[in-house]
Amino acid sequence: MKIDEIQKLKVGELLQYTGELIVMRDAAHQKLLELLSKNSQLPVDLNEKIVFYAGPANSPKNSKIGAIGPTTSERMDRYLEMIFKLGVLATVGKGKRSDLAVKLCVKYKRVYFITPSGAAAYLSKCVKDIRVLAFPELGPEAIYNISVKDFPLMVAIDTNGNKIF
Amino acid sequence: MIYKREILEKLSNLLVQVNETINPEVKTYLDGFNGPFSQALKENYKIAEAEKLPLCQDTGIVEFFVFLGNEVILQEPIFSTLNEVVEKVYTGNPFRFSLVSDPLFERKSTKNNTPAVVHIFQVSGKSLEIKFLIKGGGSENLSALFMLKPSISVQELKDVIMRHVKENGAKGCPPLHIGIGIGGTSDKAMVLSKLALTKSFKERNPNPTYADFEEGLLKDLNALKIGFQGLKEGVSVFSVHVEYAPTHIATLPVGVSLDCYLCRKGVVKFEDR
Repeated sequence: MKIDEIQKLKVGELLQYTGELIVMRDAAHQKLLELLSKNSQLPVDLNEKIVFYAGPANSPKNSKIGAIGPTTSERMDRYLEMIFKLGVLATVGKGKRSDLAVKLCVKYKRVYFITPSGAAAYLSKCVKDIRVLAFPELGPEAIYNISVKDFPLMVAIDTNGNKIF
Repeated sequence: MIYKREILEKLSNLLVQVNETINPEVKTYLDGFNGPFSQALKENYKIAEAEKLPLCQDTGIVEFFVFLGNEVILQEPIFSTLNEVVEKVYTGNPFRFSLVSDPLFERKSTKNNTPAVVHIFQVSGKSLEIKFLIKGGGSENLSALFMLKPSISVQELKDVIMRHVKENGAKGCPPLHIGIGIGGTSDKAMVLSKLALTKSFKERNPNPTYADFEEGLLKDLNALKIGFQGLKEGVSVFSVHVEYAPTHIATLPVGVSLDCYLCRKGVVKFEDR
């Protein structure tokens, strides 16, 4: 998805996304923040990426892809400006976000998507590939890149600050 | 004597089943729901069961409530048996290791989802009953303790609970199961609120006054129109359960626990013959 497509989206709109997502949650965000504060180089390039707040379950024996689904986005609000400054186009998670997150979506002209929660077996079928990008020692909290096909999304905050929660 | 092997086998099977198979009480509501993302939610439980995948990637922290008869002899301490069950189930299935050993500094994975949280209640007789919840982090973060004034009215207490669910409910994967612990001390009220979550939706408090309170609160909470996934369509709350205990004259502790729409729980019983 390109920036001009993202910026046309309206709150409540449903779409089926095919492309790449960067999976990261609490611990990975915190590590990136610490690296930035030390002026160290980051192990991932987030420019023009979509970040999915999730931590996959272990994979079944005959597959490399385990159950995966969104975690509560609000916990990541404290890092949202940091990732927007790194070039992130949109975020995906579950639930209502803080007023700060709404303001940041307006300020940076970015959107927040939700995807169904408690539907991790279903969503794992939309994932075609997964690989660890950074912090493998964090297990489910490592940063992953996933390729998805027909991944269900709903616009929960649009670039004008309209919101569904 | 009740042998470890017996507990291990029966409880392990149930723990796997509860992670992979939809709660039958929840299924009724899900099958009747046609709002946003309903297709994904319905497909999800079919895929999970057919392919032995967990319903949710957050396979939780396992919380046990053990009712141990005073005439029961256990082959091993119950704590070690229950942790062995969790380790076996979580390392042997495609579940997630969601626990970290040191909560504040290191936050390193325990790599087997142990330790479980275990509450033991001694009862009389020869039976051992173990209830459990698979508690995900998202709904667990919405747990709350309110230390209220003893003179508070019933309506004021309802308002406190309503406000909490209204402000936070959408973050906990609704429709929700609501457990309320009233009385005891602060810690006791929280444990009671969790114990309340082990009940089936249709169960009502045996005390008719508390049963009315549960039903009234359920009706009011559903009027909040939170809906499936917080998207305002469908039921908001499946059921409300209260557990209560005597308390100090100066206090009114109220614990509130929320469970996500999957309501993953189970119960097993053993007899020491």
